[in-house]
Amino acid sequence: MKNQEEFQPKGTVAILVVFVITLIVLWGTIYLTLLQRGGTV
Amino acid sequence: MTAQTYSLSPKEKSFVSWHLLVAMVALALGTLFGPLQAFEHAGLNLYPFLQPLIKSYYQGLTLHGVLNALVWTTFFITGFLTFNVIYGLKRPLRYPTLNQVGFWLMIVGLVMAAIPILLNKASVLYTFYPPMKAHWAYYVGLTLVVVGSWVEGYGFYFTYAAWRKENPGERTPFIAFASVLTMVLWQIATLGVAVEMLTMLIPWSLGLIETVDPQLARTYFWFTGHPLVYFWLLPAYISWYAMLPKQVGGKMFSDSLARLAFWLFLLLSVPLGFHHQYVDPGVPAGWKFVHAVLTFSVFFPSLLTAFTVIASLEYGARKNGGTGLFRWVLALPWRDPSVAAQLLAGLLFFFGGIGGLANAAYNVNLELHNTTFVPGHFHLTVATGVTLTFMGVSYWLVPYLTGKKLWKPDLARWQAWLWFIGMIIFSNAMHVLGILGAPRRTPLGDAPYVPAEWNSRLLQVGIGGGILFISAILYFAVMIGTAFSKVKVEKEVEVPVAEALQPVSQTPAWLDRWAPWVYAALALIVIAYGPQLYEQIRNISLTSPGFRVW
Repeated sequence: MKNQEEFQPKGTVAILVVFVITLIVLWGTIYLTLLQRGGTV
Repeated sequence: MTAQTYSLSPKEKSFVSWHLLVAMVALALGTLFGPLQAFEHAGLNLYPFLQPLIKSYYQGLTLHGVLNALVWTTFFITGFLTFNVIYGLKRPLRYPTLNQVGFWLMIVGLVMAAIPILLNKASVLYTFYPPMKAHWAYYVGLTLVVVGSWVEGYGFYFTYAAWRKENPGERTPFIAFASVLTMVLWQIATLGVAVEMLTMLIPWSLGLIETVDPQLARTYFWFTGHPLVYFWLLPAYISWYAMLPKQVGGKMFSDSLARLAFWLFLLLSVPLGFHHQYVDPGVPAGWKFVHAVLTFSVFFPSLLTAFTVIASLEYGARKNGGTGLFRWVLALPWRDPSVAAQLLAGLLFFFGGIGGLANAAYNVNLELHNTTFVPGHFHLTVATGVTLTFMGVSYWLVPYLTGKKLWKPDLARWQAWLWFIGMIIFSNAMHVLGILGAPRRTPLGDAPYVPAEWNSRLLQVGIGGGILFISAILYFAVMIGTAFSKVKVEKEVEVPVAEALQPVSQTPAWLDRWAPWVYAALALIVIAYGPQLYEQIRNISLTSPGFRVW
């Protein structure tokens, strides 16, 4: 284990990147699904 | 006295335990009605078999919402915050009698509210939107629960002030700081519902006024309703930030980032209630836009939280030998049921956050509003991110308070995983049904308009609800087994409070000063709510009589 001064949370950054991509995909999917179904307003 | 050697007195342990006991009884009773709704959606309506005790789907839904979303959370949180203030500051409560008065006020209020619900005189759900009209005791009871929690909060403030006097210049220990901040947030947030109760619903239910203004009531309610979510979440965050890292063998990645995130939640979580009112005709579009922007701004402290908590976990996992970009996750102590429950809660909470952003987007919200997407979303947040975390916390806190070993830790671990699996099935189906247009708060099993494409998802709602119910039974079995166990812990359970990677003394002083942040939070509320509240109050339309629709 690296000492605390050297600790770089690379795994954390990777997980957050995956999270943001998931967010965009899921949000986009919901949005496109709703567009396909036709807006009500 | 160090964190490792400080111990609550038997009286203090008993006081915290009473909070947890009431919370768990509420959860147990409320949870009975969860599967009833889920099974009803799947076509198995068990409500007729509960006659004459429970008269309708909506009475069951009210019991489920009030007991689980309001009572379980509020009692567990006030108990947990009490524990954190005492343990964090390493001193007794300044005026314990004050806190006891607060607790008993909450109990009196709970009983007052429960009676009309059980008598089917208050089946108005936990949001109690007028013009649905409940018995006055329901409104007075809920008000007393809130007032009691305020009184407990005053006890925290006096205790904190005494500690500050004894420790000038020291940084407030994080768990105590975050707990007091959570109570400040709660006291600001509940001003909305307090005004709604005192100026409208209680006089109305007592017959002092004949009619109400439903639009203004909704505005008051959502002034409280959204920050209520953060009152639920912040105690879970306290555990994730400051306790879970210790449980996984690590440290808190950054005390400063943690405090900054909490301040930002205080600042930003109240002035955004109109995003719950996007479809309300009485709120101008411009103000809905302002609140939408503020809603998205909460994503920033949420990401700060995600980063800091995961980095703390990664530090612990790598210390335990974890390697790789993602593989280190496997080096976390998943066999510890308290850890497993909280990690799984956090994992599903990620998806709750994504659903929250969908709800917050104006045009998407117009499609999803009042669909099953919404309960699907908050079962990932309050019913998993919060509740499963509290369950995980209780796996070390109850042994600490009772001096008994956790009964059957393997069963506790199964409980966490079953909750996780059940919630994935239940919540995913609810989200999809919502996108397909299924309305929420509706006994869909009786609805004549259900299209074929909903059927498989409705079945999944029932299956998920059933698995969640089994998980809940396991949880109560473990808790009761622990409470009545004859096996005592060899030495007092260590309270998991993580050190920060950097010394806390390096945390900037401005992150430990209350006045600027509290004044800024109040100012932002005045800016974001003031003009519109003024308009709605000036143009108050007391036009609607009460209705009993159940």
